Amino acid sequence: MTTSAAPPQALPPVRPPRPAKARKKIAHNVRTSRRAAWIFAPSLLASFIFVYVFIGITAYISLSNWKIGTSPDLSLRTPLGGTYSEIVKEQRFQADIRNVVVFTVLFLLLAILGGLVAALFIHHVSMGKSFFRTVFLLPYALSFIVTGVAWRWIFSPSTGVNEILRAIGIQNPPGWTTDTTILGALNNPNGTDFLKIQFGIPVALLPIIFAAAWQLVGFAMAMYLAGLASIPEEHLEAASVDGASTWQRLRYIVLPQLWPSTITCFVLLLHVALKIFDLVVAMSGSGPGFVTDVPGIYIYNYLASRYDKASAMSIILLLLTLAVVVPYLVRGYRRERKA
Amino acid sequence: MRKAKTLRVAVALAAVSGLMAVSGCAANAPSGGGGGGANSLEITSWWTSGSESDALNVLIAAVKKNDPGLTVDNAAVSGGGGANARQALAARLQAGSPPDTWQLHPAGQLKSYVAGGQVADLTALWTENNWAAQLPKDVAQAQQVNGKYYTVPIGIHRGNVLWTNPKVLAKAGVTIDPAAGIDGLISGLQKVKASGTTPLCLGDKDIFASSQLLESILMSRVGADNWKKLFTNEYSFGAPEVKQALQDYKTILSLANTDHSALTWDEAVKKMADGSCAASLMGDWAYGELLNAGKKPGTDFSWVVFPGKADIFDYVGDGFSIPAKNIPHAAAAQAWLKTLMDPKVQTAFAAKKGSIPAMTTADISSLSQYQQQAAKSLATGAVVSSLAQGQAASAEFAQTYADAVSTLNGGGSDAAFIATMTQAQATQLK
Repeated sequence: MTTSAAPPQALPPVRPPRPAKARKKIAHNVRTSRRAAWIFAPSLLASFIFVYVFIGITAYISLSNWKIGTSPDLSLRTPLGGTYSEIVKEQRFQADIRNVVVFTVLFLLLAILGGLVAALFIHHVSMGKSFFRTVFLLPYALSFIVTGVAWRWIFSPSTGVNEILRAIGIQNPPGWTTDTTILGALNNPNGTDFLKIQFGIPVALLPIIFAAAWQLVGFAMAMYLAGLASIPEEHLEAASVDGASTWQRLRYIVLPQLWPSTITCFVLLLHVALKIFDLVVAMSGSGPGFVTDVPGIYIYNYLASRYDKASAMSIILLLLTLAVVVPYLVRGYRRERKA
Repeated sequence: MRKAKTLRVAVALAAVSGLMAVSGCAANAPSGGGGGGANSLEITSWWTSGSESDALNVLIAAVKKNDPGLTVDNAAVSGGGGANARQALAARLQAGSPPDTWQLHPAGQLKSYVAGGQVADLTALWTENNWAAQLPKDVAQAQQVNGKYYTVPIGIHRGNVLWTNPKVLAKAGVTIDPAAGIDGLISGLQKVKASGTTPLCLGDKDIFASSQLLESILMSRVGADNWKKLFTNEYSFGAPEVKQALQDYKTILSLANTDHSALTWDEAVKKMADGSCAASLMGDWAYGELLNAGKKPGTDFSWVVFPGKADIFDYVGDGFSIPAKNIPHAAAAQAWLKTLMDPKVQTAFAAKKGSIPAMTTADISSLSQYQQQAAKSLATGAVVSSLAQGQAASAEFAQTYADAVSTLNGGGSDAAFIATMTQAQATQLK
């Protein structure tokens, strides 16, 4: 402060650019930052209470003996964490974790790739741009319950799409959400093991993944369109002049510059996948042997009979989300500090 | 410039829709303790479908007739077989702003409210009006916890009814005789299969349909007394009769439509009436559903009690309770309970709901042939509570059972089912 004190004094204070600069400096002194803290305090307090305190309460309940919602019992369960060791042994819990992992991976792949292809198509199509954009974005505007009911009819084994398959001569069309087979099963539980389910890809989950991806392709597409618009035209022109093919331009110029869009899509769609509930409820419910059950349905079912179990599952769901989101945030934070 | 304007419009729209969502929630929230003035009554239930809300309106009209100045607030919550309504009620009880009265199933479900101290003891009201003498013994018993009455029964449904398609059965040359038991049923269904028709329609997208089927088989195999003892841990899920019932269940499941997990229960019973299969097990709420779909009893569909050794009545009850604490309108709530226990009101209610009156003093001559038969069976048969409907035991036990049935349907072993249920008997029946 002292070193820069002399030049401003030398300048007349009436000139227009001065006050702006002076204001900028004030922004960092103790009094104004205290004022800023006061301004931020309510929203900070609200988010602290409604996010972190409530997460804390849920975590506490998951360790307590509170079973029925209407009769709170806040004594801690012995041994501590007994609820967690109880649920990890459950067939239903194990199936839920398998399903949510399979769902998340395949759904993200489908939605992001689909969004990329749709965005490239729309970006390069010369006619009806806004028409196609609307077509792809429309499903995103609908609720999962609405589309879920429609998809349930489409994938109903005795009616729906199977009618068409039968008409073109396929004798045994797929059972869709009623199929209990696990593709590429890694193990075969004998009933006495800790693992009570087959790990692999439940066939019944595929129609649901497809429906979810269909609905969110528009969202990914919008992200990619924004990304594409920000790629400088000159880069592509320069590459063309140098004789780069369409594929080379895509591979070495477009895709690398779309990487931030991909990351954003990934993080934003991830929480859709982990929290998926309504679409599954509308399309298939838990399914035979929980082939289409997800943590959301588990929490909902146990809310009325086992508060502690529902809370434990919520915490596990939170940890699953954090496992992916935290590394992303840490990376972003580090970059910010470097810049 | 135009872009900025579009953005502003978009933000404004988002804000409005956000507000709408918030006010939408507010519309669902309780209207507070004193809503509707001094002389009012707020009733929560999950009766929102056509026949259900008609039946509820019969009750509301009756209580208003007794007290013309009364305003009634019908706070029914739809969906999930009452799961949504119970969630909403739980939140209100916890917050200390209960409705004046709420609908519930007796026995097991009642226990959780008693344990939480939320439900009022109605023993004085019962003795004063001598209600116990006007009800079947088992029904009166189900309204109690530890010898005290906490609820009043308005109507009774039966869970173990086998709905049949007379045309399909005649074509296959099969008659289902309840006295021939499960073995007779299975051989009959196999004959139907040989005739080229799917024997059984099942719709267990919501797992309770399968839970109900296994429950009916279990009751028939173990008998009414042992069924009750399953929930006091005096009879084990490891018993040979239970193992036999699980075998029967798997056989019967193999005779059902392969897409059962994609259908709902109402779709399944309609499929049966359309002639896609010979029979379908469902509680007698299916009767109203079939009538609504334009099916004629006797020609499009018929019924027998689920085959078994003896006439067992799988009791699924509807009743009302009032809160123990913070009741907004105590006098109106008492008048409501008394109205429910009027035999004439019970008959009028049953006519709309398709259930049968709980009171033996109610006149059933105006009710349908099915209802009259069921009422007779209620008076003479052994009455037991349904587990699939969360009535025989606590909500936790019922959920464990539903999950175990799901696992079984996904190819889980009988041994795993027995292990889960015996463990639940040991730990959850307190």
